Amino acid sequence: MTALSWAARPAEDAEVVRLSLDESERFSAVFDTYFGEIHRYVAQRLGADGAEDIVAETFLTAFRKRARYDPSRASVRAWLYGIATNLIGKHRRVEVRTLRALGRHGPDPDAPGHEERIAVRVSAESLRPSLAAALAGLHQRDRDVLLLVALAGLSHEEISTALGIPYGTVASRLNRARKKLRAALGGTNPMAESEEAGRG
Amino acid sequence: MDELEKIRELYGEPPADPFLKARVRERLAAEPRRRRLPWTTAVAGLAAAMAVTVAVAVPGTPGEVRPPGQTATVSGRSILLAAAATAEADPVATSAYWRVRKLYRQTHPERLGRGENRYWVVESRLTEQWAARDGRVWSGSRTLGARPASGADTEAWRRDGAPTEWSSRDRVLSMSPEKGRLTAVTGRAPFSMAGRGMTFEQIQGLPADPAALKARVTEAVREGAPTGALDGVVADALSGLLWSKPSPPDVRAAAYRALAELPNVRYLGEAVDERGRKGAAFSFTVQATETVRRTLIIDSASSQVLSSTVTGRPGVVGDQVEVVLDAGWTDDPPAVPGLP
Repeated sequence: MTALSWAARPAEDAEVVRLSLDESERFSAVFDTYFGEIHRYVAQRLGADGAEDIVAETFLTAFRKRARYDPSRASVRAWLYGIATNLIGKHRRVEVRTLRALGRHGPDPDAPGHEERIAVRVSAESLRPSLAAALAGLHQRDRDVLLLVALAGLSHEEISTALGIPYGTVASRLNRARKKLRAALGGTNPMAESEEAGRG
Repeated sequence: MDELEKIRELYGEPPADPFLKARVRERLAAEPRRRRLPWTTAVAGLAAAMAVTVAVAVPGTPGEVRPPGQTATVSGRSILLAAAATAEADPVATSAYWRVRKLYRQTHPERLGRGENRYWVVESRLTEQWAARDGRVWSGSRTLGARPASGADTEAWRRDGAPTEWSSRDRVLSMSPEKGRLTAVTGRAPFSMAGRGMTFEQIQGLPADPAALKARVTEAVREGAPTGALDGVVADALSGLLWSKPSPPDVRAAAYRALAELPNVRYLGEAVDERGRKGAAFSFTVQATETVRRTLIIDSASSQVLSSTVTGRPGVVGDQVEVVLDAGWTDDPPAVPGLP
């Protein structure tokens, strides 16, 4: 029962989903492996209150649609993020309200490994409301792509399979969203600019 | 700090709820018959396993600091330089994994209880970071349960009927420890220095010269926090290299030497951490207004940081204390944190 997500491999995940068509209890392993990160993503976007319903709905939808899951197209992880993102899209008002609260109060403290963020967070305090407002002002489709990169850490390729949109569209939505945020935050940082150019 | 990092900073980590996973399973099992998921039938057993109460002893007496003077003529600077020499003499690690295991303690920001019987509770959590040489990183966490903060709080809690679970600030607090989890950190930089993401590889490549290291850190701080006083953030980022990152011995030594030259790092004297270990206490403010202060207790004989206490954070009740239980290299593979 202790399926650790660090032990999970995309090919094995896909195999589990395939086997779960005959032996549905095997789907439990998918739930065990991905519950944590899918919940984290949904809770970040919709707040802890709203997240529970959406996460339950995500796994329920995945279970019901598992026959249609195509491992040659998307990893199980990207597939689940896609389902969760589509469900989040139906709760735009909750997301905007959550962003407003984040802008005012900021997140809960501290993830391990990021101790000295305290200092930076304190110094960056003043930027928070404008960043939250800028995020709330984005088009839903642009925000989805941006947050799948920033919060879920999905690649362009994975986002394209998760949302069922062309690769080039992922890039253009991401660029548009980042440009709007930079404009909202004011004063571009030359260091960050040059580093981004290098990143391609 | 680019926009993506600012976004992660804004969202932070959602609060941990040890019962959430079991609750969602239950909900899925309770779906109408035609949708019922056969894999959720193990729910009853799981919920029972999680309800077992385990008494956890968490040391509660705050670290005591004895000011310098009387017999002690040793300066803070010489202690940091001695720690640097110890760090430098550490052999380059050959084990498979770097690991740090910490006990984190924080007062819940809202008083609990009913009517007259209101009390503060302190939440404890074990956190672990693991890093393999190939750059894979895992993060482990285990909530140890909440308990009344002081003797007076304990009495108010008893009068309140000694509840073992509370609902507050959109989540459930419990006295029971959770099962714990271990997750691979993927898709984002697993470490951060002055708010900038850092990979395992980038940490290995940091300068081993104190001045060069300080310059590198200062540069990162300028990008992350363009306004306000930089010194505190520089001190914080340098000290982070000592205890929360897999820094090589020469980088740790350089960080100690750079800290020894910072005017804003104050030596408070000998101190004992919450687990009774002796060390030297240093502190610095991490903000221009001098309200947020971090105090580190350092054991110069082992060059390890024993504990960190952050005081004065806006919106935070009491101190945030982290006690380092283990730090360094090991051949044990990553696992869900065990109880201390």
